Amino acid sequence: MSDNLGNLELIHVFYWLKELLLSTGLGEPYVTIVSYVVLGAVTFGVLALLALFLVWWERKIAAHIQQRFGPMRTGWHGWYQTIMDAVKLLQKEDVRVDKRDKFVFFWAPVVCFVAAFLAYVVMPFGNQLIVADLSIGILYVLAVTTFTVISLLMAGWGSNNKYALLGGMRSAAQVVSYEVPMVAAILTVIVYVGSLSMVDIVEAQSGLFINWFIFKLPFGPIAFIVYIIAATAEANRVPFDIPEAEQELVAGFNIEYSGMKFAMFFLAEFVNMFTVSAIAVTLFFGGWNGVFLPSWVWFLGKTFLVVLLLMMFRWTYPRLRVDQLMEFAWKFLVPLAFANLILGSIMKYLGWYW
Amino acid sequence: MTKEELRSYIDSTFGSQLKALDTGRHDPMYEIEPQNLVKTCQALCDDEKVKFNFLCNISAVDTTEKFEVVYSIASLPNKLRLDFKFSLPYENAEIDSVQEVWSGANWHEREIWELYGINIRNHDNLTRFLLPDDWDQGFPMRKDWDAPDFIRLPEK
Amino acid sequence: MGKLKTEEFVVNMGPVHPATHGVCRLMLTMDGEKVVKIEPVIGYLHRAIEKVCENRTYPQCIPMMDRFEYVTSMSTNQVFSQACERLAEIEVPERAEYLRVIMLELNRIASHLIFYGTTAMDMGALTPFLYGLRERELIIDLFEMTCGQRLTYNYIRIGGVSKDIPKEFIPKCREALDIIEGKLVDYEGLLNENPIWLIRTKGIGHLPAELATSFGVSGPVLRASGVDYDIRRDDPYSIYDRFDWKVAVCQNGDCYDRYLLRLEEIRQSISIVRQALDGLPEGNIKAKVSPKFKPPVGEVYSRIENSRGEMGVYIQSDGTTKPLRVKCRGGSYNQLQALPYFGTGGLVADLVAIFATLDVILPEVDR
Repeated sequence: MSDNLGNLELIHVFYWLKELLLSTGLGEPYVTIVSYVVLGAVTFGVLALLALFLVWWERKIAAHIQQRFGPMRTGWHGWYQTIMDAVKLLQKEDVRVDKRDKFVFFWAPVVCFVAAFLAYVVMPFGNQLIVADLSIGILYVLAVTTFTVISLLMAGWGSNNKYALLGGMRSAAQVVSYEVPMVAAILTVIVYVGSLSMVDIVEAQSGLFINWFIFKLPFGPIAFIVYIIAATAEANRVPFDIPEAEQELVAGFNIEYSGMKFAMFFLAEFVNMFTVSAIAVTLFFGGWNGVFLPSWVWFLGKTFLVVLLLMMFRWTYPRLRVDQLMEFAWKFLVPLAFANLILGSIMKYLGWYW
Repeated sequence: MTKEELRSYIDSTFGSQLKALDTGRHDPMYEIEPQNLVKTCQALCDDEKVKFNFLCNISAVDTTEKFEVVYSIASLPNKLRLDFKFSLPYENAEIDSVQEVWSGANWHEREIWELYGINIRNHDNLTRFLLPDDWDQGFPMRKDWDAPDFIRLPEK
Repeated sequence: MGKLKTEEFVVNMGPVHPATHGVCRLMLTMDGEKVVKIEPVIGYLHRAIEKVCENRTYPQCIPMMDRFEYVTSMSTNQVFSQACERLAEIEVPERAEYLRVIMLELNRIASHLIFYGTTAMDMGALTPFLYGLRERELIIDLFEMTCGQRLTYNYIRIGGVSKDIPKEFIPKCREALDIIEGKLVDYEGLLNENPIWLIRTKGIGHLPAELATSFGVSGPVLRASGVDYDIRRDDPYSIYDRFDWKVAVCQNGDCYDRYLLRLEEIRQSISIVRQALDGLPEGNIKAKVSPKFKPPVGEVYSRIENSRGEMGVYIQSDGTTKPLRVKCRGGSYNQLQALPYFGTGGLVADLVAIFATLDVILPEVDR
């Protein structure tokens, strides 16, 4: 990597900021606190903007798959359409059901929103560009993304609406089922890396693209396919969007939410989609590894490609039925994922890999 | 079977129950006795030669002196069409349900009951469905029904 | 898990629900996700069309008929005009009959395209909806070119049609038919072999032929159950007996067959329109009918094959300019009636699929 391109690495901005703070005469612990607060705020802001962008992008992709234009009136190809939508949602009246469970109803969108963003603490956006390199990185991600299901259950219960309750129950059943093959697929990677840290996982794939785990693992593509199917289900997207299946449950768990609370669910959904794509990139596509371009560009570029894949699923397939969804998880994905894991582990033990 | 053949077959086989009328255009029209309704329908449905197994339509007519109920039936295997009707007095009009012959009569009869006030015997679900549940302002399809200037909507 | 207490609960699907295509309310008794009992509640769209018709003259009734079934208004015009013509024994000019057949079949194609779109949308595939509407637009443009309207045409009048087609209609119509025929391949490619589509529709909502006949279910739904009956062929009206076409019939009576059958009907309709365009004669488009149309005393039940089944109108005339009684019968009325008897036992998602493939539209039910 040449030096001048290396200067585009965002991590230098962080160091520069830290030195600036140090030069003002603040003590070392305070500087650390301030810089981490700034880092968190920036990550949050970037992700919120990213979610807005994803909404716009999805609408454009949907439109082009359906041979229409999509948003065109607000700016160049309607680029600030979703910003206006968000502003509109912020201004809207917050309609509350009379017989709601007040506490649960209020906190559900908050939990959903926070859970969606928590995973980014350990997300390696680029070379050294990570908020905290936890040694249990991927385990942490799995733990916090599952928070979402609690929020959906809360929304379903708190709304005092049968459709919402059905949506919440469906989402709980779905997420619990698809967590199993997802973890099995991730374990295949972890067996080879020998570490749970996200940075270690990415660094194990450094070098040419041939080192990416999707190519390097004995059954990399299978692990990836299992992961991406489970991830689609995890992100509640078509063909697995049964918790909010519009034509069956009207809007599922978020039926009674309006205004800002709805916007929080909505943005969290897109952040979740980005999360599962980013994890897919980290695990299977070498994370930020790449040549010529700054590492964060590689990371974002690859993630957007995976997001594109998820979007194309959504605009092509019909939705599965809820029992077929469970059958698919338990009768097909789980055996496949575990067979893959066992075979992969045996081959790792015997050293039959490169 | 052409229309002429159908006419002569009906006359020869069901002559006692179905009497030809000349008001029908395009399709044969007959008159029956209201008390024989179910029996006649069953016979028309079961007869192997005609087999009228499909109920197209039931419509009631208010001619300001009496009610008429018109049944339009068809035979899917034999590709035939037939209408028959009967008259009812204005007061205490009552007919039998033909649900056991053609299940599809259910909603048609319910509609007649609701809009004309003709009572249906042996009907399994005689509840309002086109009008509001607590409608108490008469039978709108009768000719003497005056549309009120304001209709009171159910209070909820 | 036998110790857990469970109970059935009632869910109102509708009156405003994305999958009921209008304002139908289905009261579902559910055991968890399983539908135990369905009770359709209708009447939310009751506009008293029959009563209003009694206070209009016969030609004034035709615009009311447009509202009776607005997805295929051409056929409602046709069924009412046909009833009036049979009452007064009016001979319709040759050219008008051909134009009627062209419009009716084009309208059938448009309606089936909507069916394709909405059915796929009800199962979560949003893209086919846009595809279906895109091709429908070509047909709607043709109608607009002919009679100036896009939804409620008021085109087929007693004794003929209201306007002759413009010169550019025939080339445009042929072009549109070619496009639609080409796109049908795309439609089938998108769904016919799609595994998710197959498990969602195959074997779902099986409607036995006896039940269908007994409930007066007609049209594509009846033919999908294996009953070979089409009013266009078996009780011919207009000039359908002059064209060479096949009645599509399937055997299984499930959602998939209903879907396949409608796609096949689009093909047959395209063929009929092509033949009609080829044979279109010159001549008068409307028989002489007085504006004070006064049919003799009599009664008639006229019926045609609409894209949703048998559409019928019963008219009793007392010799004045206003009908004594107009009764409209739509195919959806009986289809919805039969729904509680074969739609139960599945999950909500199945019910949505069944409801979508019945292709019920509510103005026809409520009138």
